[in-house]
Amino acid sequence: MDISERLNLNSTTTGDEIEPFLEVTAELVQKRRSQGRIIFDRFMRNKMAIAGSLFLILMFVLCFLGPLVWRLDPNYANVLSVTNTLSPPSLAHPFGTDDVGHDTLARIMSGGRVSLLVGLTSMLMAILLGIGIGSVAGFYGGIIDNVLMRFTDVILSIPLYLLLFVLSASFTDGTPKSVIILIAIFGWTYAARLVRSEFLALKEREFILASRTIGAKNLRLMFRHMLPNAAGPIIVNATLLISTNIILESVLSYFGFGIKLPDASWGQMISDGQNLFAVDPWIIIFPALAIFLTVLSLNLVGDGLRDALDPQMTER
Amino acid sequence: MLETDTAVASKTLLDVRDLKMYFPLTSGIILQRVVGYIRAVDGISFTIERGQTLGLVGESGSGKTTIGRTIVRLYKPTAGQMLFDNVDLAKLQGEQLRQARQRVQMIFQDPYASLNPRFTIGSLIAEPMHIYNVASKKEIRDRTAELLRVVGLRAEYIDRYPHEFSGGQRQRIAVARALAINPEFVIADEPVSALDVSIRAQVLNLLQNLQERFNLTYLFVSHDLSVVRHVADRIAVMYLGKIVELSDRDELYRAPKHPYTRALLSAVPIPDPQIEKHRQRIILSGDLPSPIKIPSGCRFHTRCPMAQDICREVEPVFEAKEGREHYAACHFSEQVTPV
Repeated sequence: MDISERLNLNSTTTGDEIEPFLEVTAELVQKRRSQGRIIFDRFMRNKMAIAGSLFLILMFVLCFLGPLVWRLDPNYANVLSVTNTLSPPSLAHPFGTDDVGHDTLARIMSGGRVSLLVGLTSMLMAILLGIGIGSVAGFYGGIIDNVLMRFTDVILSIPLYLLLFVLSASFTDGTPKSVIILIAIFGWTYAARLVRSEFLALKEREFILASRTIGAKNLRLMFRHMLPNAAGPIIVNATLLISTNIILESVLSYFGFGIKLPDASWGQMISDGQNLFAVDPWIIIFPALAIFLTVLSLNLVGDGLRDALDPQMTER
Repeated sequence: MLETDTAVASKTLLDVRDLKMYFPLTSGIILQRVVGYIRAVDGISFTIERGQTLGLVGESGSGKTTIGRTIVRLYKPTAGQMLFDNVDLAKLQGEQLRQARQRVQMIFQDPYASLNPRFTIGSLIAEPMHIYNVASKKEIRDRTAELLRVVGLRAEYIDRYPHEFSGGQRQRIAVARALAINPEFVIADEPVSALDVSIRAQVLNLLQNLQERFNLTYLFVSHDLSVVRHVADRIAVMYLGKIVELSDRDELYRAPKHPYTRALLSAVPIPDPQIEKHRQRIILSGDLPSPIKIPSGCRFHTRCPMAQDICREVEPVFEAKEGREHYAACHFSEQVTPV
C-alpha cells in the first residue's frame, strides 16, 4: 500500500483517537530559543570575548576601510625631508614614520590587510584540508585511518619553523599568496586530529546508527550528520588557528622568509625596524602592538566560543 | 532447528538461522592481532510471522541488542542467515542493502541519543523519504506533518528541535521516523526503557495501535518482562548469546521450561502485598559470565539452581518440549515448576 493512502486513511478515520496522547509540557510553553540564539546569548555573557570581538572588528575596519580616510600612500618614501624620517607620533603622522619616510599608520593598515588575509585564508585552507583528512580517517577507520594519521604524525614531528624557513627560502617568492599556501600546507594537522577524534566519537552515537539504518549513504552521514555536530570544536580551533597563522607569518617575515618589500606585513615591519629600535622605538612598537592585540583578541574570542559551544552546556 | 514446513514459511516474514555475531578482541597498537572473541550472539534461530510481535528478553549483556542491530545490518554477522521475505539480509551489500533497509526499520532505546540534535524534527522524520526519493519536497513535508499527527504530536512542531521535547515525545518522533518509509518490519530496541514509567504506556499503546493499522511486524527487545507480556505474541528468552526458551507468551508465563525463565518470572513483582509476602523467589547467584569465556556444557549451569553433572559437560539441545511451539534448551525442562 502506498504511504499516502495509509496516512490519509489514518487522518480521516482514526486521527482523533490518538490526540489524548498530546502532552503540553512546561518546556513547550516557555519561550522558544533556537540553538544558535542560546549559543549567542552565552557568548554575549563573556565580557572578555566581547572585548576581543570588538577589537577585531575595529582592526578589520581600520585595515580595510581605513585607507579610504587615511589617504597617505604606504609606499610613498619621503626620504628627502629630514623631519619626515624616523619622526615620533605627530598630528601629520599619528604613528610616526620610518627611516625612509613611510607613514607608519598607512603601513600598519596595508600590513594588517596582508597579515589578516594571510591568517584568514591560510586558516580556511588548513581547516578544509583538516576536515577532509580528519573526517575520512575518523569515519572509515582501520587502515585508511592508520595511514592518514601516521602521515599527520610525521608532519607534526618535524619542527615547523625550521621546515617553513627551509621551504620558504626556495618555494616562496615573498608574495602573500605563496606564504598563505605554505602556512596552510602545514597548518592542517591539528584540525585533522580534532575532526578525526570527533568523528570517532560521533560514529558510535545512536543518532548516527539510526541514520545508517534508514539508509543514509556515507557522504550524507559524514557531512550532514557528523560534521555539524563537530562544528563547535572546529570553529574554536579555526579561530585559534588564525592567530597562530598571523604569528607564523610575522615570524617568517621577521626572519626575512615571508612577505618581502614592497608588500608590507606587521612582522616584516618589525624586521625592518629592529636595527633602529634604539633610535626610534615607535617604528616597532606600533606593529608589535597590532600583532599582540590582534592575537590576544582572537584567543579571547576563541575561548569565548569554546565556552559558548560546549556541547555539555548546549545539550542542557 | 526450527522446522520449516511450507505452510509456516509463507506466513514467515523473518527467519533467522544459526546467527552468530562475534566481536574480535584485538591487541597491539599498529599491527592489531585478534586475541579472542566476544561471542555476543552465539548461534540463534527464530522466526517471526507477519503481523506478529516477538519479544526478546534477557538481562544486560545477553546479546539481545546485538541481535537487533545485526538484523538491520549495523553489524556484519559472523555466520548464519537472516532470511527476510526469503532474501538473506546477511549477504546483502551496498545498494541492495540500502534498498532492503527501507523495509526494516529500528527504534532505539534512548530517544535523547537517537535524534540528531542539529536537525529539526521535521527534517529528521523527512530524511528517510528524502534518502529514498519517494516524493516531491512539498509532498514529503505534508507527509511529515501527517506522520506527526499519527504519533500524536501537533503538526506545528515540525520546525522545532529535539531538545524542545520530552522523552516520551521524542520517542514518538523516533517512531514517526521509523514509519516514514513504510517499513514492514520494525525492531524496537528497548523503546521504553529510557522513559518514565508514567509515559511508557503511551508509547507502548502507540506501537500496538500502529501495528494493527499498518500491519507491522515487531521484534521487541526488552529486559522488562511485564512490558514484553503486554506487547508480544511470542517470547524468546536469551541468556549469554543464546536463546534458552521460545514460546507463546501465555504458555511461557504459565509453564516455563527453562530454569532461567523461571527465575526471571519469579523476580517480577506482584502488586499485592499479601501474595508478594509469601511467594517464592528464585535468587540467581553471581553475575552473567563473560561472553569471552563462555562456560562449558549448558552456559547457565554456573548459576542454575537445578544444575547436575551433565549440565557442566553436555550442552542441551534447543528443542521442542511438550507443546509443539514451545522450545527450550535444558536437560531437566520437565522439572521446572510452573508459576
